[in-house]
Amino acid sequence: MLINKNMKLADVIHHDYTLVPVINRFGIHLGFGNFTIQEVCKEHNISTGFFVIILNAFHDPHYFPKERLQSIRLNILIEYLQKAHTDFLEDKIPEIAFLIEKMPGECLDDRKTYLLIRNFFLEYSTELKNHITKEEERVYPYVLKLEEAFLKGETDADIKKQIQDYPISAYEAEHENVEEKLFDLKNIIIKYLPKPKSDKLCFQILREIFSLEKELNEHARIEDLIIVPKVEAMENALKLKGFGNG
Amino acid sequence: MGEIKTVIVVERNYLMQAGLEAMLMEIPGLMMVKTFTGDEVSLAGHIRKQQADVLILNPLALKEDPIVFLRKLKQIGKMVVFGLMEKETPVNLQSHFSHVLNVSDSKFDLQNKIRSVLHQDTRPGNHNLLSKREVTILKQVVLGLTNQEIADRLFLSIHTVTTHRKNINRKLGIKTVSGLTVYALMNHLVRMEEMGGATK
Ligand SMILES: [Fe+2]
Ligand SMILES: [Fe+2]
Repeated sequence: MLINKNMKLADVIHHDYTLVPVINRFGIHLGFGNFTIQEVCKEHNISTGFFVIILNAFHDPHYFPKERLQSIRLNILIEYLQKAHTDFLEDKIPEIAFLIEKMPGECLDDRKTYLLIRNFFLEYSTELKNHITKEEERVYPYVLKLEEAFLKGETDADIKKQIQDYPISAYEAEHENVEEKLFDLKNIIIKYLPKPKSDKLCFQILREIFSLEKELNEHARIEDLIIVPKVEAMENALKLKGFGNG
Repeated sequence: MGEIKTVIVVERNYLMQAGLEAMLMEIPGLMMVKTFTGDEVSLAGHIRKQQADVLILNPLALKEDPIVFLRKLKQIGKMVVFGLMEKETPVNLQSHFSHVLNVSDSKFDLQNKIRSVLHQDTRPGNHNLLSKREVTILKQVVLGLTNQEIADRLFLSIHTVTTHRKNINRKLGIKTVSGLTVYALMNHLVRMEEMGGATK
């Protein structure tokens, strides 16, 4: 189903309830009555076009209107990506950690196995946190500054230095796949748990991991396919313009 | 069932992508993990990151010269590449692929082709079990040794060690060292005490 701005937001959620955290990222919360997407967006003062694209992209992995996404201002995209980061670290990760904590009572007799899984996930959380911190401290601020410089059409020494020291291509080259460990964790739970007492909790954990994985994929797709090429083009344009007379 | 093989697709048409996905889904042991349209910046790099077992590539989707692109893929290593051929694909391009899928082939033929090619690549029998040698190597990996150190200790070439490691990852479905550590400890292949300072 292709979502459009004239649909009622409630109908969209009926169709795909996994979009709830996505709309939350835009500051929209449940209880929106019978309003259409457009009306809700207007009330919250957010770009309807962007909102609809994100809903669709999240709903259907095949939907990825590159040109339209690339026409959106970087600061809007970055704001969205940052909210997703917060979601990952403050909701998703603690939720999985909480479920893992319940393993000893509900599904594992063996304390050692539990500790192994807990530590493994802890390690993963740290990795994800580092990945995100780097993006927020180093990459995103640069992207925002660059866009500003690009729109104003003027570069300062600071920007020039960054374009040379850490261009977006350097970020792209070291932008690692943060889903790898999650994949391992899924297999450990699916294939190698020693006789769990009950599958119920494992199922909940798997559901959360799959959902986090889906969101991470979606997120990385925007970083790799939208942010990187867009920033690269701006860098090149600025280089041509500013570096000559600077 | 043995280990799952991951498939990525480079194809510009949605209908073709969806068709491929539907066809692949029916082959047990295959999982389509990613589709590219072909106009991604540094596509070869994205493909490398996926570490997939199989690539189905429509050369007409590429922005760059397919032959140059295939050369880049060669450096990625052991990934089975199928060329997806359309009517308009120049004949000389076909010869650059060791395996070819024709879009006009029937579903049965396509699936058989894929199965037969991939089958050569899997050694039949003990799909899930690690060989003795692999267990030995797994232990060393978990204890924190580098490939070079393992090669020196076991009198193997570094190339052999890398191959073993790839096979271990593939058989277990676990790629990271910490994942392997969990597996090894859970299965009592190493003891916690042996780990000493190796963890972290
Ligand atoms: Fe990110
Ligand atoms: Fe990222």
